[in-house]
Formats: sequence, C-alpha cells, structure tokens
Amino acid sequence: MSLDLLDVTVRLGRGESRVTALSGLTVSFAPAALTALVGPSGSGKSTLLAVAGALLRPDAGRVLLNGADIAGLSPAQQARLRRERIGYVFQSGNLLSGLTALEQLLAAASVAGRSPRAVRARAIELLTEVGLGHRLRHRADQMSGGERQRIALARALLLEPDVLLVDEPTAAVDRDRAAGIVDLLAATTRRHSCVTVVATHDPVVVDAADHVVDMARLRAGADSPR
Amino acid sequence: MYLALLELKAARGRFLLMGSVVVLVAALVGIVSGFTTGLGDDTISALRRLPATHLAFDRGADSDQFARSLVGEAELDGWRERDGVEAAPLGVSIARGTTDRKVEVDFAAFGVEPGSFLDPGAASGTALSAGEPSGVVVSQQLVKDGVRVGDLLTVDRLGVELEVTGTTGRSSYGHVPVAYLPVETWQRIRFATPGTRAAVAEPPHQYSAVALKAGAGADLTGADRALTTRTVTVEDAYAAAPGYTGERLTMTSIQAFLYAIAPLVVGAFFAVWTVQRRPELALLRAMGASRARLLGHTLAQAAIVVTAGAVVGAALAAALGLAVGSEVPFSLPAGALVATMATVVLVGLAGTAVTLRKVTTVDPMTMLGAGR
Ligand SMILES: Nc1ncnc2c1ncn2[C@@H]1O[C@H](COP(=O)(O)OP(=O)(O)OP(=O)(O)O)[C@@H](O)[C@H]1O
Ligand SMILES: [Mg+2]
Repeated sequence: MSLDLLDVTVRLGRGESRVTALSGLTVSFAPAALTALVGPSGSGKSTLLAVAGALLRPDAGRVLLNGADIAGLSPAQQARLRRERIGYVFQSGNLLSGLTALEQLLAAASVAGRSPRAVRARAIELLTEVGLGHRLRHRADQMSGGERQRIALARALLLEPDVLLVDEPTAAVDRDRAAGIVDLLAATTRRHSCVTVVATHDPVVVDAADHVVDMARLRAGADSPR
Repeated sequence: MYLALLELKAARGRFLLMGSVVVLVAALVGIVSGFTTGLGDDTISALRRLPATHLAFDRGADSDQFARSLVGEAELDGWRERDGVEAAPLGVSIARGTTDRKVEVDFAAFGVEPGSFLDPGAASGTALSAGEPSGVVVSQQLVKDGVRVGDLLTVDRLGVELEVTGTTGRSSYGHVPVAYLPVETWQRIRFATPGTRAAVAEPPHQYSAVALKAGAGADLTGADRALTTRTVTVEDAYAAAPGYTGERLTMTSIQAFLYAIAPLVVGAFFAVWTVQRRPELALLRAMGASRARLLGHTLAQAAIVVTAGAVVGAALAAALGLAVGSEVPFSLPAGALVATMATVVLVGLAGTAVTLRKVTTVDPMTMLGAGR
C-alpha cells in the first residue's frame, strides 16, 4: 500500500475569498508507517488529508493510491473508495447525534455495507482499547471532546482501512491519553500495513511518528523524512 | 435500514410527534370516508339494490326524476316489447305511517310488480303477491323502528291500510327506510288527495319509472326516441335521489382537503428534519455513503412513520365505526379502509419528495470546516 501526491494544486472558496490551499505539492507517504503532518495553522494540512481521502478533487496533479490515480474519479467512485478503503477522523463533527458510542461504530459498518452484528465484538474491543469500554451505551453527544475524538478513531479503525487519515486526534486530550492514542495508531498501522497520516501540532505525536512531513518545508520544496 | 432505524430511535420524540399528526390525519380521513359511504348508503342503497341496469324516466324530467317523472302504461308496454330488454314498473315516493301498535314511521314506498325482477322477496315472512294488494315488505331499519310482520300500517292522512307480510335486508332511499308494496297500492298512495281520507277509486296507471334489465345489444336510444322516455343507468340515477349530489360533494371535498394536508404536514416535518441533520448527512457522505443510500434511508424513515401513523389512524377510525354501531350512517368496509390508508401513505410520501433533493445535495466537504 502506498500513497503519493504528485504536483497537486487545490484552490478553495469562490471569488474574492478564493485561496490556493495547496500549490504544486508533491509528497509520498510510506506504507506501514505513521506519518506526522505538521505545519502552521492554515498551511493546508486538512486540505491535504481531504485530497488524499478522496473527499476533494484537486484542481491539478495526481493522487496515486497503490499506483492508481484517484484524482479523476467520479463522485460515486470517490464515495465508494471512501467507504471501502479509507478511514477518516475529522478535526471535529465526527459523530452522529443521538447515537451511543457503540452505535456510532455499528452505523459506520452498516454504511460500509458490513453487518453490524458481525463487527459488534470487534467494535467493543476497539472502544475498550481507546479507553471507553465502560461507556459503550452512553450517548456520544454527551461526552467530552477527547472522548468523542477517541470514538471517531475507534470507528475509523473498525473497518481496517488501507489509508488512515487523522486530523488533530490529540488536540482535546491530556498527555497520557495522547500517548495512548498514538500507540494505538502506531500499532494499527503496523498490524494492517496501512498508510497512516496524522495532521498534528502535538509533540507527543511527532515524537512517536515514523516520519514527519512539514507543510512549511514542503512548500519550500523539501521533504524531510527522519 | 439499520442506520435509518438507529436514527429513528435516537430522535423518537420528534418522530412520535410527527407520527401522531399522521395518526390524526389518517383517522380523520377514515372517519370522513366512513361517513361518505354511510351517508351514501343511507341515500341510495335501495337504488343500488335494484337488480336493474337502467331506469327509463319521463323525458320531461331532468332532475329529481323520482319525484317528477311519471310514465304510463303505454311506455311500460312499449319497453316490454323491445328486444333484449326486460322491463318492470317502479314507483317511488315518500310517506308516513302509523302501525296498529302506534309506532310512527317515515318510509320510502317502492311500488313494484309482485314476482317481477324488482320484487325483493322476503328474508322473513312472506313476499309480495298479486293476490294480496295491501301486503307490504319492510326493510331492516323499519323493523328496528318497531314494525313487525303482522302489523297493520296505516298511511297517515290517506287511510290506506297496509299489512306487513315480510321483511327484507337494509334498503333506504333519501335517508328513509324502504317499504316494498305492490305497484297498484303504491299508485293509490301516490295519487291520493291528502286529507280526503278516501282512496282514489281508480288512480292513474302511472309509475315513476320503468326499470330495465338491458342486454349489451339493446337499442336504448331508439326506444327512448320512440317512447318519449329518457333512459339513464341506475348509477346515474343516484344523483336523482334527494340530497345525494350535495352530500357527496361535501364529503369528498373534506376528504380532498385532508389528502392535501397530509403531504404538506409530512413534507414540512421532513424538510425541517433534513435541515437539522445536514451535518450528519455530510458526515455520512464523507464516510462514503452513496446518494442513493441516503435517499433510501430518508424514504425508509418517512415510510415507517407514515405507515405506522396510517395503521394506528385506521385502527382509530375502525374503532369509532364499531363504537357508533348502526346508530349513525357510518360504513367503513375493510377494502375502503385499506384504500384510504394507502392513499394517505402515498400522499404522505409524496410530501417528502421535495426534501429528497436537499438530502442528495449535501456536500461532504463541509466536514473540513473546523468550526463545526
Ligand atoms: N472552504 C474553504 N473556502 C475557502 N478557503 C478555505 C476553505 N477551507 C479552507 N480554506 C483555506 O485553505 C487554507 C488551508 O486550510 P486547512 O484547513 O487545510 O489548514 P490547516 O493546515 O488544516 O490548518 P489548521 O492547523 O488550523 O487546521 C487556509 O488558508 C484556509 O483558510
Ligand atoms: Mg486543519
């Protein structure tokens, strides 16, 4: 499994507020490795994840998933790719309101065409791993930001994606929890040999990552593998 | 479907509220439909029961034919001679009477020729017979009113005496229960001068209409021209029954309004529901749910709420039908109930159609806004 962005340009917004979020960006993400994506706010981290996650079609350039270009896919093909091969944890708004922690995971399985009953045991296991084993039946919208983010992470892991994209997973949790989340991400990455990209400002994540990609340096044209 | 049900459960308060509105609308539709049929039966069940295909009225009578039209012996004989047609005289008029046990009743006097195809026979007692001109067969409602076989029924102010020989099933005309009697006796009632207390010795040999059983090839227009009659189907003659057209118009317009309200209410609810959960829809799209799936999901929720509402509403309407019994003209056969509820479901679902576009146009990119 590999993920490469070649000369990708993305412009966002319309008219006056139109900005070039990514301009001619080229970067490779290593398979079976955890990459930390760092850079100042507004440098395009979230935008890069969206392009890599088939959520956003770049205005120019190619996005190669295992060598196959996904930049030109139709919206329906993109949707299919997202539900079958991509795990995504957004910066916020990850959960369906009114559902319990466990139901969040089962609903995701159902969207991906999997039987909720078949994944139930695994879902409970994952929620326990992120430290929410005792809150399976609590409504997710009554939980804290960090707890919600952990549910979203468990949900992304449930379907064993080829590409795992995580946007600021530790922004709302304490240091110990952050370490736990990073460990889980690293372990999952190794176990499934998936490409994992984590946009972050958190030194805990950066320290544990296999590679670090700095948006500021990328813009200057230099990648910095460690 | 799993997700649709999860969401239903999560937002059950809102869906229950919506469902109860559907219940009320459905129950109201059912009740109105029950009254439409019930009142209709009360007005024309006697006509519906007639084993005739057509009625030939006097050409001069355009409306209220049962009250206005008079056809004579010549027309009756003329119709009897036509090929492919069976003809029998029919007299219709409204009268009041009192039995020898002092029961006062209104009744629709239907004069028929004993033994003709219009003769209703008798469910109990004996049928009309030509040899017994004062015999009368009363319908069910008159029995309920207290008229019994063997009673002597005197027509008020005319003094015509009738002897109740038998009973027959439900039959009413213009909200008045029917009594069948030999057409000669009917003529004595119809053509008597009220207050004289003396029956006309030789009343005119006229009838309200000639009832016809016409085969497919019968030339009715030709016969009408030759006999100066105006033939209409029995169904078209319903309109000539007193009050029938007005009642139907009233009831069907109430029903039409309800059918218009149902989709608006359901549509408005789902429009609000969809706007409220745009963030969820965006997330589902971002997670890879296809447009078709979200559509199916929303439609499934609508179908569940609307169907459940209609079923409960139907049960309410049916329960009301049982509760009022036969005290009021209410009739809601299972077939009619199913048909009206199916219509409620269909128009309710049609109401969600406007919302469906909003569901499919949700942009998963809104997930990127960090301000969510
Ligand atoms: N929908 C949009 N319309 C217009 N401009 C946008 C839109 N979304 C993002 N941008 C702009 O694109 C640029 C890159 O945004 P992006 O969210 O990728 O940054 P980021 O590196 O993730 O920042 P942060 O660390 O604050 O999350 C920013 O300048 C932002 O203002
Ligand atoms: Mg961001």
